[in-house]
Amino acid sequence: MEQIALTINDRQLSASSGMTILEVAKENSIDIPALCYRQELSPIGACRICVVEVERSETLVGSCHTPIAQGMVIHTHSKKVLQVRKTMVELLLASHCGNCFMCDKANICELRSIATDLEVGLPRFQVKKRYYPVEDASPFIVRDLTKCILCRRCVSACNEIKKEKVFGIAYRGFDSKVVVDFDQPIDKDVCRDCDVCISFCPTGALSKHGEIGEEKKGEPLIISG
Amino acid sequence: MAQQRIVLRNCGVIDPMQISTYLDRDGFKALKKALAGVTQEQIIDEIKLSGLRGRGGAGFPCGLKWELAGKAQVDEKYVICNADEGEIGTFKDRYILERDPFTLIEAMAIAGYAIGAKRGYIYLRAEYHCLLDLLKNAIGQAKEGGFLDQFDIDIREGAGAYICGEESALMDSIEGKRGEVRYRPPFPPSRGLWGKPTIINNVETLMNIPQIIFNGGHWFSQLGTEQSKGTKVFSVSGDVKKPGVYELVLGSRLRELVEGLALAEKVKMVQVGGATGRIIPYEMIDMPLAFESILGAGAIIVFNETRDIIDIVYRVMEFLAEECCGKCTPCREGTEVMVEILERFSRGGGLETDISLLEEVASAMMLSSLCGLGQAAPIPVVNSLQYFRSVYENRIRQN
Repeated sequence: MEQIALTINDRQLSASSGMTILEVAKENSIDIPALCYRQELSPIGACRICVVEVERSETLVGSCHTPIAQGMVIHTHSKKVLQVRKTMVELLLASHCGNCFMCDKANICELRSIATDLEVGLPRFQVKKRYYPVEDASPFIVRDLTKCILCRRCVSACNEIKKEKVFGIAYRGFDSKVVVDFDQPIDKDVCRDCDVCISFCPTGALSKHGEIGEEKKGEPLIISG
Repeated sequence: MAQQRIVLRNCGVIDPMQISTYLDRDGFKALKKALAGVTQEQIIDEIKLSGLRGRGGAGFPCGLKWELAGKAQVDEKYVICNADEGEIGTFKDRYILERDPFTLIEAMAIAGYAIGAKRGYIYLRAEYHCLLDLLKNAIGQAKEGGFLDQFDIDIREGAGAYICGEESALMDSIEGKRGEVRYRPPFPPSRGLWGKPTIINNVETLMNIPQIIFNGGHWFSQLGTEQSKGTKVFSVSGDVKKPGVYELVLGSRLRELVEGLALAEKVKMVQVGGATGRIIPYEMIDMPLAFESILGAGAIIVFNETRDIIDIVYRVMEFLAEECCGKCTPCREGTEVMVEILERFSRGGGLETDISLLEEVASAMMLSSLCGLGQAAPIPVVNSLQYFRSVYENRIRQN
């Protein structure tokens, strides 16, 4: 495999061609936050939280899907990058329901942990919030799209790992939504107890029916700022 | 500089339903010239020499695009003509298609030969359904005439989405998927339609090709400015006495077009390039129209002194929020935030913090959005804050 020399945060590194910036960073213990990216899935490129600065590029690039190139000079935590990441998280939080007190996944929520890391406080944008009815007709899965941040991991996980196509995207812009069939509430006919998508959901949008007394996962999050 | 008809040379002269009238105007001679003894590399070299750049707004060098696709060693390649003219205020491609479909067909056949593609698609905007019969007739007549023996052209109709004018969403749409933006790289010349090397060119870009092949790249490169060669077709609308389609040599002044040809009076500002285009105040109307300064897709919307800048920017942002595909965070959420803030301003409100919020979201969107829509959506907002900041500040003060 051809070796490619590149610089990340002033460190001279070498990696095999075909790798993405995020993979190389990870290999070298540089932590780039990402919401829609998961190692097991092909890159989605939707959340734009993993963006990094590549010298001589006009815009920031998504590190999860951009392959490395010879002589690339990359900054993963420059001021410009951090500012954009913060704004991204703040935008996601602005339309997110924000009922963390009542969310089962509050302590293992990836959105919350990234927000804490980046020190994003209460969002300053006053946009409308997405409210949808909870879909709990299926005995295997509870879908609460109010908490969905449209990262599309569930869509990819279902397609790529389970080789099913239960989920799709419908509507445009702010109204876009992960749907089942023609925007039907999920029920037991379309989906069995494979749980794959649930384990990929970064927020509390997908979960199982909880049982009383069941142990909750995760350490309590300590929110700074 | 003046008007010159290269792209529009046959418009209004030939009968778009009769190929014979096109043949009388040297029609398909460039294709014959290309097929008879000119190598594929020579065609691409000629296009590169001409300095032709994409007319859809981004201005990517056409020859370079073709070269990348031409070099790929794959059996299947595609040529796509982007006729999804969705930009607010553009109607030049419609004007061209209505009056001269044959030049486009010839150009696509040349492109196919140059990169080694056997198949081409015309992606026609849903609203241009009325042109379908005309285009089909033109393709049919070209086939009968034996001009499309080695190259097949198919028409695909859009379903009414602005985003499908963006090349990667356009390819998704042709593939039968939801029209959504893909991340790049890979770029279409290496992996495009159905994963095969593909070139996507705007109608107007392709219209230049036969003339370049016929007269040589050197001839073309003598028109225009240093980095912008040839002519550009502009669609002028808004507060003007003579709206319409004008073709000017690149580098001509905006004033010449707006006041000289379209006879606008009491101009307050001009939006150049459509919904995501820059807003130019009257003081800067002497700007040259070229890739170096300002161009876009060629939509020129003129606003006179009676128009309110915030209303304009708000309406434009509403449109963009509606047409956003919803894939990436900055565009999906950012346009909504901007609509919300601008709506407040247009109602006569506005908060102290709103201007800085607008600027912050604008900069994040421009830096991190997945496609041109999100990257360019804040441009009208940024421009209006730059040139008409006092209007915003007044609204805040009056609130």
